Amino acid sequence: MAILEISGVTKRFGGLTAVDNVTFSVEANEIFGLIGPNGAGKTTLLSCLAGDLRPNGGTVRLDGRDTTGLPADRMCRLGVGRTFQIPRPFPHMSVFDNVVVAAAFGDPKIQRDQVARRALDMIEYVEFPRPVTTLASHLNAAQLKRLDLARALASGPRLLLLDELAAGLTPGELTSIATLLRRIRGDGVTIVMVEHVMRLIMELCDRLSVLHYGELIAHGDAATVARDDLVREAYLGQSYIL
Amino acid sequence: MANPSVANAPTSPIEADRDATRRHRAALLLVLGIAIVLPFVPPFTGQDYQRWLVGAALLAAMAVAFDFTAGYINVVNFGFAAFVGLGGYTSGLLAVDLGVSPWIGIFVGAALAGFVGLLTGMLTLRLRGIYAAVMAWFVGLAVMGLVRNLPDITRGSLGLNVPLLLDTSDNLPYYYVILGMLVVTLVVLTVVIRSYIGLAFRAIGQNLQAARASGINPTRYLVLNFALSSAFAGWLGGFYAHYYGILTPDVMLTSRTVEVLAVAYIGGRGSLWGPAVIAFPLSIAVELLRTQFANLPGLYLVLYGLLLIVVMIYRPGGVAAAARSVDEWIARRRRPEPVETPRAT
Ligand SMILES: Nc1ncnc2c1ncn2[C@@H]1O[C@H](COP(=O)(O)OP(=O)(O)OP(=O)(O)O)[C@@H](O)[C@H]1O
Ligand SMILES: [Mg+2]
Repeated sequence: MAILEISGVTKRFGGLTAVDNVTFSVEANEIFGLIGPNGAGKTTLLSCLAGDLRPNGGTVRLDGRDTTGLPADRMCRLGVGRTFQIPRPFPHMSVFDNVVVAAAFGDPKIQRDQVARRALDMIEYVEFPRPVTTLASHLNAAQLKRLDLARALASGPRLLLLDELAAGLTPGELTSIATLLRRIRGDGVTIVMVEHVMRLIMELCDRLSVLHYGELIAHGDAATVARDDLVREAYLGQSYIL
Repeated sequence: MANPSVANAPTSPIEADRDATRRHRAALLLVLGIAIVLPFVPPFTGQDYQRWLVGAALLAAMAVAFDFTAGYINVVNFGFAAFVGLGGYTSGLLAVDLGVSPWIGIFVGAALAGFVGLLTGMLTLRLRGIYAAVMAWFVGLAVMGLVRNLPDITRGSLGLNVPLLLDTSDNLPYYYVILGMLVVTLVVLTVVIRSYIGLAFRAIGQNLQAARASGINPTRYLVLNFALSSAFAGWLGGFYAHYYGILTPDVMLTSRTVEVLAVAYIGGRGSLWGPAVIAFPLSIAVELLRTQFANLPGLYLVLYGLLLIVVMIYRPGGVAAAARSVDEWIARRRRPEPVETPRAT
C-alpha cells in the first residue's frame, strides 16, 4: 500500500518553477531515492511534502488522507519526520534537549514520563559519539547530521524524509549510515532520501525518481533508472561509472 | 549495545543538573535575604535611598518579564513600556472613576495588558527578528498615542492623579510590596520556563523551522509568551501608578523600554534571575549619578549604553553567564571530573 502519494505537485518561486507537476507514490516500508543535479528542486519538493512549503498546485496524500498545505508541525505530528540539508539544531541546547523537543512535541501519543527515555534511546540508536550534555553549537558537521537524524526519529515518524544525509561524510561514516538506514527501515519506517552519493543510493534504494529542472525525467527501480540514457546525460555525466 | 554518550544522562530535561539548580536556588535566596535587610543598613535607611530601592525592585521585575520574551523566544518587545502604562492607566482609571480598590485594579490592568499582549503576539507571528520588534513598537506607540489623545478620559499629558496603594507615603512598606511582586514574577515565570512550555519557547527562539519540524505549533507559544509577559508588565504598571500617585503618557516612552532592555541584557538574556539581580546595583548607581549630575539629564542612558556595549562585546550572556562560568569553575575544582574528550566520528 502506498504511504505517500503525490500528484501534480508544483512549486513556483516568482517566475521560477522549482518543482513542476511531479507525480509519484512511495510504498510503505520502502527506501525511495530522489536524485537530480544541483538546483533540480529536490529540497523544494521535500519541503512541500514536510509542510515547510505550500505547493502552488497538486496534492499530497499521506496514508490516503489529503495533507496538502498542512503546516510542518502538523505533518510532524502526523508521522512525517525530516532532516535538513544543512542541519538545523537548537544551538544553545544540549544534544539531549535537542532531541527531547521532538520527542515531547512531535509525537502526540507519547506520555510525559517516556520523553527522556525516548530521547536517550534515539541518541543511542544513531550511535551519537559524544556525551548528551554537549551543546549543539559545539558539534562538527557529521555529528550535527546524526543529531538531526535523532531529532527526526524522536517524533516517532512512519515516513522519514532525508535531505542529503550523507553529504560530506567519510567512507567509514557512509558505511555506518547505510547500516543505520537499513535498521530504521527494518523497524518499519518508510524512507524518502534525497542523495548525491550514488554508492548509497544504489546500495539502499528500492526505487528511484530523477528530477531535472523541477520535472520528473525518470522513475523506476534503481538499476534501471541508473542505466537510463536521459538520466546519464542530465545528471550523471558522460564519465559516470557505476 | 552500550553507548558512552548516554552514561549519566539526565532523566528529564527539566532537572538536567540538580546540583547546579540547588546552588542556584541557594544563591538567589541569599540575594533575597540581602534585599530584605537592605533598608535597615545605612545609607539605605534614608527615604531617598528607600525610594530608589522601590524603583530598583520595580525595574528588576519589569526586566524579568521583558527577558521572558526577549531571552527565550528571541523577540524584542519594543513596546514593553506601553504595556506597563496600559496596566497602570487601567488600574488608575478604575480607582479614579469607579472607586475600585487598587488591589483589585492592578489585576484588571494585568488582564487587559495581557489581552493586548496576546493580540500583539498574533500581529508579530509571521514576522521575525527586527520586524517583530518594530511591530510591537508600533503597538506601543499606538497605545501611547491613544492615552495622549484622549484627555477627557486620561487627562493626557496633564497627568492623572491616582490614589495610593497603601495609607502611607512611607517608602518602606511599598518596598516590601514590590519585592514580593518581584519574587512572584520571578518564581512564576521561572516555573513556566522550566516546564515543557519553556522548552518550546527556547526551541522557537533558537530555530523556528526546526521547532516546526519537531511538532511545535509556534503560534500557540508565541501568543502565550506575549500574553504572559504583557500581563506581568501591566501588573507592575499598576504598582507604578499607585506608588507614584501620578500617571502621564511618558511612562510609555520608548526610552523606558530601552532602560528595561538594558537591564535585561546586562543581567543576562535568557536567565530571568540575572536581570532581577543586576537591576539593584544598576539603578542605585543611576540614581546616584542623577543626583550628582542633576544638570545633565539623560546621563543615565549614556551609562546604560556604555555598559551594554561592554557586555555585548565581552559577555554576550551578561552577568548571568559570567556567574554560570564561575559556578562551573567552582564545581569543577570541588569534584574533578574527567574532561570530555571529543572523539572522531
Ligand atoms: N526560497 C526560495 N526562493 C526562491 N528560489 C528558491 C528558493 N528555494 C529554492 N529556490 C530555487 O529553486 C530551485 C530548486 O532549488 P532546490 O534547493 O530545491 O534544489 P536541490 O535539488 O535541492 O539542489 P541541491 O542539490 O543543490 O540541494 C533552485 O533554482 C533554487 O535557486
Ligand atoms: Mg537541496
